[in-house]
Amino acid sequence: MISINNVSKIYKTNNKEFKALQEVSLNIKKNTIHGIIGESGAGKSTLIRLINGLEDYQDGTVDVFEYKNIIKLNMESSRMLKKRIGMIYQSFNLLERKTVLENVLMPISINGKVKPKDLQKAKNLINLVGLSEYINKYPNYLSGGQKQRVGIARSLINDPEILLCDEPTSALDPTTIKSVLDLLKDIKSKFNITVVIVTHDMYVIKEICDYVTVMENGKIIENGYVEDVFYHPVKTTTKSLLSSIGLNYELIVNNNKHIKNKYILFFDKSILNSSIITEVSMKFKTSINILYASITPNEKGVMVVQIPKNIEDIRHSLMKSGVVVENV
Amino acid sequence: MFSDLELDLFLKALYETVYMSFIATIFVCFFGLLLGIFLYLTSENGMLKNKYAYLSLSFFTSLGRSIPFLILIVLLIPFTRLILGTILGPSAALPALIIGATPFYGRIVELSLHEKGKELVETGLSFGANTFNIVLKILIPESLPSLIRGLTVTTITIISYTSIAGAIGAGGLGNLAYLYGYARNKIEITIIATFLIVILIIFVQLIGDITSKKLSKK
Repeated sequence: MISINNVSKIYKTNNKEFKALQEVSLNIKKNTIHGIIGESGAGKSTLIRLINGLEDYQDGTVDVFEYKNIIKLNMESSRMLKKRIGMIYQSFNLLERKTVLENVLMPISINGKVKPKDLQKAKNLINLVGLSEYINKYPNYLSGGQKQRVGIARSLINDPEILLCDEPTSALDPTTIKSVLDLLKDIKSKFNITVVIVTHDMYVIKEICDYVTVMENGKIIENGYVEDVFYHPVKTTTKSLLSSIGLNYELIVNNNKHIKNKYILFFDKSILNSSIITEVSMKFKTSINILYASITPNEKGVMVVQIPKNIEDIRHSLMKSGVVVENV
Repeated sequence: MFSDLELDLFLKALYETVYMSFIATIFVCFFGLLLGIFLYLTSENGMLKNKYAYLSLSFFTSLGRSIPFLILIVLLIPFTRLILGTILGPSAALPALIIGATPFYGRIVELSLHEKGKELVETGLSFGANTFNIVLKILIPESLPSLIRGLTVTTITIISYTSIAGAIGAGGLGNLAYLYGYARNKIEITIIATFLIVILIIFVQLIGDITSKKLSKK
C-alpha cells in the first residue's frame, strides 16, 4: 500500500548539509497500525510526511496506492492522493477561529462547497469521537485530548484509506493518551484504515502497533512485527527505548548475572488463563524463581525465570504446554 | 472661551484629520496586506519561496520605512502634483501617507502571518488545498486578530503622520496646532488640538482592542 524505496533527503543550510533521511526503504501493509519510533531528529517526522507528499526528496521513490513516485504527480493527482490520506498532528493544528464543526469540515470547505451530506458526515464523526456537545464550541474551549479528537474527526471527513499521525499523543497527559490511542484503534478496525504513527514513546507502540520501525540519524535501524522487535531487539537504541517501558529483558538478565540457569518464557494469548508455572513447579517439586513478568503487545505474556533443578524436564513440560522457552 | 470662528476651525481641522487618516488607512490596509502576504509567501518558510523576490520586496519595504516622513512628503511633491494637481489640502497628503505607512503595515502583516504560519500551511497542504485558498481561507482568517492589532498601530502612526503633513500645508489638527497655535502664539489652541489628537488615538486604540478581542475566540 505504501512503499518507500531508497529515499534520501538532504537539508542544506549555510554550507552545512543535514541528512534527514539516508537511503530509507520501508513497506507499510494495508490495514495495519505501523509505528515509527526514534529520538527527536531521527528523521521520523520527515519520513511520515513523504507519504502524503508534504516533504520532497532527492533520491528514491515513494509509491502510495496506485500512484508511482508521488513527487512527480501533477496537481490534480496530488490533490486526489491527499484526499485519501488523513493526518493528525502533535499540536493538533486546529483553526482557532473556527468551531469544532467548521474545523471538521475544513478539508472540504477549503476546496469547494460543503454539501448537506458532508454536514451530516461531520456531525456523525464528531459524535463518534465523543464531542457532540461541543459541536459549536471553539478549540480554545477544549482540553488537549478533546482537541486531538477534533483533529481525528477532521482527518476522517474525506474517508481516508491512510491515517498519518505525527506524535499524536506527545502533547497529552498520560490518562488522555490511553483514550486517544483506544480511539485510534477503534477507528482503524471500524473504517479499515492503515494507520501510520510517529512517536518517541514506546508505550504508544506497545499499546496499539502491529509493526514497528526504529529510526536513528535518518536511517531505519530495526523494522518488523512489534513482538519480534520487542522480544529480540538488536540495536542499542531499540533496547534503550524498550527500557523506558520496562521491556528490556537483556537489562534484567544482565542485572542478575550471578543467577544461573535463566530462561525467557513467552506465553501465547491462548494459554494466559492456565497456571502453567505453578503446575510445573508442583509436578517436579521445584521452586521456579520469577525475576520478571509482564504482559506485552497483543496480550502476550513474557517472563524471565530461574530454574534451579530438573531443568530439562521442566523445559519439556513447559514447551508441551505451549510456552516458548529461550535460554539466556 | 473660543469664538465661533475658532470653533469652526477646530471642527474643520478635526474633520480633515479624520478624513486623511481614514482614507489613508483604507488604502494602507489593502496595499499593506498585499505587500505583507507577498513578503510572507516569498520568504524562507513561504509557499512561494523565492530568494530574489523576497530580497527586493524586503529592500523596498525597508527603504520606505527608513525615509523620515517629512522628507518623504517633500520627495513626493512632483508625484503628488502630477496625480492630484495640487500639493495643498488634505487629499494632497494622501499619497505620502499611503506610501509612508504601507511598508510599515506590510512588515506587521508579514510577522503576523509567520506567527502560526508553518502549522497552518502544512495543515492546508495536507487537505490538498492550493496556495490561494490556504492564504484566503486559513492564513488570513486565523491571523485576523493579530492583523487588526497591527492595523490599529498603523492607524495611530498615520494619525501622527497627518500632523506632520498638516504642518506643511495639508490641513487638519496638526496644521491648526502649528499655524494658529505656535506661529500666532495662541498656546491654548495648540493644547486643544493636541488634546483632540490624543482623544482620536485613544478612540482608535479602543476600537482596535475591542474588535481584535471579539475576533480572537479565546
